[in-house]
Amino acid sequence: MKISVKALIVGLVFATTITGVLFARVSAVDSRMNDQHIENIRSNCVTAKNTLTQLHASDALLRVNMGQLYELMTTKLMDRFNSRLSNNNYDNSSLTAVTSAYNQKLDAFRNDYRNYEVQLAVALKIDCLNQPVSFYDAVAASREKRTQVHVDVARLNQFLNDYKTAMNAFENDYLAKQGTKQP
Amino acid sequence: MNENEAIVEELSFWDKHRFLLMVVIAIGIAFAMTFISMAMYTSSGTAQLDLSRPGYRSVSSQVNRDDSSFKNYSSIGPVNQESINEFKNLFNTQATSIQSADAFSGDPLSPEALGINDPTK
Repeated sequence: MKISVKALIVGLVFATTITGVLFARVSAVDSRMNDQHIENIRSNCVTAKNTLTQLHASDALLRVNMGQLYELMTTKLMDRFNSRLSNNNYDNSSLTAVTSAYNQKLDAFRNDYRNYEVQLAVALKIDCLNQPVSFYDAVAASREKRTQVHVDVARLNQFLNDYKTAMNAFENDYLAKQGTKQP
Repeated sequence: MNENEAIVEELSFWDKHRFLLMVVIAIGIAFAMTFISMAMYTSSGTAQLDLSRPGYRSVSSQVNRDDSSFKNYSSIGPVNQESINEFKNLFNTQATSIQSADAFSGDPLSPEALGINDPTK
């Protein structure tokens, strides 16, 4: 019985703490927004939702087309060139290192896009007339996740440049070796 | 006759309802398989690539279904200046095309772009 009372007290303290934290958070969110801001969200709610719906569709198309191109770069070009060098007993370690990093970033791009899409879908489901603050927060979270997707894309493009650099280094090395072989 | 009646009486509840049991199990398996399939569909990211879903019909026709313009580089063959140049041409052409797109740039989700910003600021 004593244990039950203790558990009850601990439970009450825990519940009070959690409620306090949640209240503090809600108050912080609400105090962040003034009445004019909330009214502005409500008045532009329909337009904003239409824009989000269009963006949701156009970003999905972009994801499919760009994802395909990024994948083809590795399956049709980089992996094959690496294999060709390996088959001919050339050192391709710098090129495979870049390819490996590129593939990891491609996986991150896929995951980050999925997170962004899920978050944007959540924002679209919120009734922005009755829940303007929640809608604003959901859009802000979507914006953050979309920025991460753009960061991934920029990094993938950087890896393509890195591969070019590694390829040029390999070519220079190859030419130098060819030069020393000639009489 | 009496012997037959005795046998019928000995059948248990599930013996008498074997067909019903089979239907219930079949429905249960179908539910489980559907649940697993949907979980895999959403968690794997396939859902994000499925433009046949409602809301994506307007853009599904714009998906690039033909990748024949993206030429394969052969992984078999000698390595010489000609094969290196061939690869460089293929790689540079596609890389330039991809990099020029600068996907997911801009800030269309900013409060200002959506008109949900704080008008007092």
